[in-house]
Formats: sequence, C-alpha cells, structure tokens
Amino acid sequence: MKRWSILLSSLLLSSWLFLTACTATPPSDFEAAQNASTEKGATAVVEEAIAGSQFNAFFPAAEGDYDVVYTQEKTGFAQAKLKQSGTDLAVLSIADITSNPSAADKYANSTNEINGYPTVEQGKNGTGALVGDRFQVKVQSRSEDFSASDRQTWLAKFDLDGLAALQ
Amino acid sequence: MSKPIFETIDELPTKNVTTRVLKALDFAAPGEWHNTVGFKNTIREVTGESDPELIQAIGDRAVWLFNDKNEGYQRALWLYQTVDKADSALGAAALANMVGEKIPLLGFLNKVTPKADQAQAIDLTLKLVVEVVAFCQINGIPGDSLGDFLKALREYGGESLMRMVALVCLDAVIPFGPDFIQAVGSQLNQLNPTDLENNPFFSQVQKFIPGGTATSRLDFIGQSFEGVQGWMGDLVTSRGLTQKQITDNLSRFVEITDDRLDYLAAFLDMTTDYYAHTGTQTLARRLIERAAAEV
Repeated sequence: MKRWSILLSSLLLSSWLFLTACTATPPSDFEAAQNASTEKGATAVVEEAIAGSQFNAFFPAAEGDYDVVYTQEKTGFAQAKLKQSGTDLAVLSIADITSNPSAADKYANSTNEINGYPTVEQGKNGTGALVGDRFQVKVQSRSEDFSASDRQTWLAKFDLDGLAALQ
Repeated sequence: MSKPIFETIDELPTKNVTTRVLKALDFAAPGEWHNTVGFKNTIREVTGESDPELIQAIGDRAVWLFNDKNEGYQRALWLYQTVDKADSALGAAALANMVGEKIPLLGFLNKVTPKADQAQAIDLTLKLVVEVVAFCQINGIPGDSLGDFLKALREYGGESLMRMVALVCLDAVIPFGPDFIQAVGSQLNQLNPTDLENNPFFSQVQKFIPGGTATSRLDFIGQSFEGVQGWMGDLVTSRGLTQKQITDNLSRFVEITDDRLDYLAAFLDMTTDYYAHTGTQTLARRLIERAAAEV
C-alpha cells in the first residue's frame, strides 16, 4: 500500500513538473491582441462599415495586358490582384478604416499626395492613400519588378474622388 | 473559445507524413507548394515585409479579424479541419518514428479498412464542397456562389492549387483510377439522401452546405462535382495523371504493392490531413493579406 502511495506521489510530482515546464513558454507577441479581441462585445469590423461590394466601382479597370482580378470582398473591405500576362504584380485594396481608425495616424505627417489625397510609403512594398479621412486605398507590390513609382501610378488610377463621395 | 490563430499557424508541422505526401505530389503542380509555417514567417512571406513593427501591426489586425466570428475565418478553418481529421490511432503514434524512413504499408494492412466506393465518393465530393464553402467564407462571397468559385479555381495557385491537386490524386485517381469522373458520377447518381445523412462527415458539416434538406444538399454536392469536372479532367489530361505515376512518386517513402491501391487510399486517408494543413495555410494567407491592407 505504502509503495503505491509513493508511486502515486512521484507520478503526481512529475506531472506537475511537466505541466509547469509547459506553461513556462514565453507569451506570444500577439497575446495582447488575442485577449482584447476575445473580450465580450469585441468586434473587428464595426456595424457602420460600408459593404465591400460598394468599393468595386472605384478600382482601376483592366487595361492592355494588365488584369484586375477581385479576390476578397468583406464588410468594409475589397481587394483585387493586379496581374500582367498571368503574373501577380500587386495587391490593390480599399478599406473602410472606421473599424481600425489608428490606420489613419501614419498619414498625419504625410508630405506627398495623389490628386489631393495624402499618401505614405509603408514598409518596403506598400503605398497607401487616405481618402476622406475614412478610406485607405493601398497598392502593395507582389513582384520585385513593381516599384514604388508603379504603386503610385496605380494608386492614381483608382477613382479616389468617387470614393470620397461615398461616405 | 477557439485556439488562437497564431498558435495554429505556429504549430503547423514542418515534416510529417502529410508534408511528405504533398512534396511527393510536386510533379503534378511543380513548384506550387512550399510548406510555410509559423505566423510571423507567413506574414513575412505574404507581404515581403521585414520591419518588426509593421509585422506586429499586421499580426495584431489578423488576430482581431480571425476572432470576429462574423468574418467567416473561424468557420472556414473548422470546415477544413473537420473534413480531414486524420485517424489519431493510426496517425501520430504509429508513425511518429517513421519520418525519415520508408513506411511499410504491408505492416498496417490489419489496421486499415478500405472504404467502399460509395463512402469514397462521398469523401471526395464532400471535400470539394467544403472547398467551395470555405472559399466563400474566406473571400466574403455568398455560400452558394458556385460560379464565383469555379472562376476562382482557374486562378488557384500555391497551397490552394496543391490541395486541389492532392484531392484529385489521393481521393480520386488512386481509389477510382483516371476515369474517376464517370465512376464517382455514377456513385452520386445512386446515392440517396439517407445514405448521405448516415455519413459521419456529412452530418458534421451539413449545416454549412447550401440547401435546407439532405435532398437539396445532395443536389448542391452533385452540382459542385459537375462544375469542377472540366477542371479536374483538364488536370488529369495535362499532367497525364495515372495511378502508376502517383504511386511511383509516393513510393519514395511508402512501400506500395500495386494490387493494394484501395488499402493505400485508406492508409493515406487515415495518416494525412492535407486538407487541414493546406487549408490553414490558405486561410492564413488571405487573413494576412487583408490585415496588411487594413493597417
């Protein structure tokens, strides 16, 4: 009987040590976002966000051997791929940033503009424009041959004024 | 609460039976699939960005989007995972020591039961329907938009294309042969709604399949299969897919005897989860693409 209890205690001790070792993993860098986004009532997209289908009309049209292929269309968001002869060049998008207003912060110090709308370079591959303080129009390179100046050229092909009038 | 998305992506295996099978199928979709694992790593690969602050911002937004149930990402992941649950009894434990050596299929014959043609046909077509529904959930398209899916299928690349190619190779050509379209079509024709309701996979995923009754869901399954027949047929013809070619490639790590292909199909079904694996990778990419556009 005594031997059993020793065996049981050592088993419990080793399981406890094992479990403690498991919980010692450092928390993920995304733990804060995980906690905040799973709180009661948390939502990633606010109710007043505009349906993505309404954004399609403001995207650039296909031209020559350039093709615009729509990929995602969610509330507050629409995205298309820009392709040339079947190769992905860039991702084009319009987002209603009412759901994540901090996206507008980076435009505060913008010194560039396209058609009167402030633009910024973000990271290595992104160029964005803020339209009517509500919509973020972005072009992100997906090919090394698609430069920052290509991104600006394609940003200018969006109907930014039409989009500004949407709100 | 479901598991955090960054954990799910961080925990994708770098090497197991599933990844070895997918690599062996590279001949059918050359260079399309790279086993990208890890949340931050996927962000870097999708966006080409390396700035830690930007990666953090994209990851945070992706976590928010995934956790919002209305956005459909959780449902899509659940569908991919549910339709493709590897049999744990034969999966992890029995094969844990076999990564890196050849798996003797003969040693598993007593543990594997080949599926009847009807069950195999349901498996194949349900996986296909799950692809349609998950595609719609991820991309924000109404669930019965078969036409949009079929258009997008022609655009499939990377891990999405590999998943469809694996579906054709492993769940269609191996069990039914290259003329599987006819064989599966005739199985579907004989199928009645009760057979479908008795299928465990169907009963789990049925509420997400368009149609209010088993009969109309069976119709949707039939329409989906009919819709992709052209694409599947083109794939088989253009790649010259045969049972022999597929098994030759798989035989790099599974010892196969040609007269046991029904066992091979069942064995692969029980030991791999290529739908869940590549489905998670597809979902991760779409989620990150959206997050990168919104931050």
